[in-house]
Amino acid sequence: MNDTFEDRLLAALKAEMAARPEARPVAAARRMTGRRILTGAAVLGVAATAAVAVPMVIGAQTPAYALTKNADGSINLKINEFRDPDQVEKDLADMGVRADITYLPLGKRCADGRAPFVDGDRTTTTSEELRSKDPAVQEELRKRMEKTVSYKAIRPKNGITIYPRYIRPGQIVMIEVAENPVEPTVDKPGVAWQFSGRLTEGPVKPCQVVDQPGAFEIGDATPPPGS
Amino acid sequence: MRLRQTGLADIADDPVAFEAFYRRHFEAVTRFLARRVGDPHAVADLTADVFLAVLDSAHTYRPGKGSEIAWLYGVARNTMLAERRRSARESRANSRIAGRRLLESDDVSRLEDRIDAESPARRAMEAMAGLPENDRALLELVAVDGLSPAEAAAALGIRQGTARVRLHRARRALRQIPGVVPPLVMEGHR
Repeated sequence: MNDTFEDRLLAALKAEMAARPEARPVAAARRMTGRRILTGAAVLGVAATAAVAVPMVIGAQTPAYALTKNADGSINLKINEFRDPDQVEKDLADMGVRADITYLPLGKRCADGRAPFVDGDRTTTTSEELRSKDPAVQEELRKRMEKTVSYKAIRPKNGITIYPRYIRPGQIVMIEVAENPVEPTVDKPGVAWQFSGRLTEGPVKPCQVVDQPGAFEIGDATPPPGS
Repeated sequence: MRLRQTGLADIADDPVAFEAFYRRHFEAVTRFLARRVGDPHAVADLTADVFLAVLDSAHTYRPGKGSEIAWLYGVARNTMLAERRRSARESRANSRIAGRRLLESDDVSRLEDRIDAESPARRAMEAMAGLPENDRALLELVAVDGLSPAEAAAALGIRQGTARVRLHRARRALRQIPGVVPPLVMEGHR
């Protein structure tokens, strides 16, 4: 990484972008929050989302990503560099998985409503529960999330592990990965990247980038098991 | 990957789209600058300035009004004009990224090679130095940078009809200097 003037200038420009004040996306984020609260106790789709604080090791010669097929039929995706998501999609397609991969900077996400939820992801969750800071409620939500078909199909395990046996024909694996432009170090710990993934029948709309406040919070900085 | 479909305006907000744009055009930008500046450090500074200007003005790009490269050359040209207007003393202090500080010796020799490779283009531009500024700017973009007359018109923000008239006038003026026009055109379209 950062081998040439071209690479170093790109890194400097990206840092400049990250430092710039935001305009348009904030308004969109605010709108979504309002709608979500209005939903009240209605049936919500809960995306199998896991915030994972993963320390990343990047060597000069590592490829942008590695796809490995495991003996149990699962596919392991390890991202070393956040470039070329199109090629990841093509390689996954060769392995029989339709995927839509989006790379974002940490602190951003795609706005809600990009694609319909699959039936196996529907759980009854109230907005009080979603907002709750009570560990017991959060634990219960996490359990519910782990029961969703999306979580079974796309897990934050050893990077990202995809289980094709949980993917029905025609379903698309939709993954968003957000990278911290500042690489965390031992001295300055931080969230290296975050990912969310779920299944959808499509169509998948273009990503409308919105803010994700709190993305940089590292909690107790303990990576979840298996990551 | 769908981000790219949402248009150039997103490159200012979206690092993925910006990186794709940057990788697509980095070389064209350094070549554009190497035709006009003979010093690798100045080329590096200006390259940084051009892409910073891209971030600031991505929202001004209108796909219907010309190609990305035409828009980008317009931005590059304005960046160079702004640089020339500034006095030498204040010029670098205001830039947010000092491109030359990102150079290592390999990069410098690569840029020197590029500058050498563009020397015929620089000679061609010297031959045009006597033309009125507006005509010269247009002829440079067409004969040296390889834009179509329509693209060059978009880069300069002028009507296509105006561009045709100016091009015709500039070519006729140059034809009066023996030996200039044929190499100019051939080298411009490499």
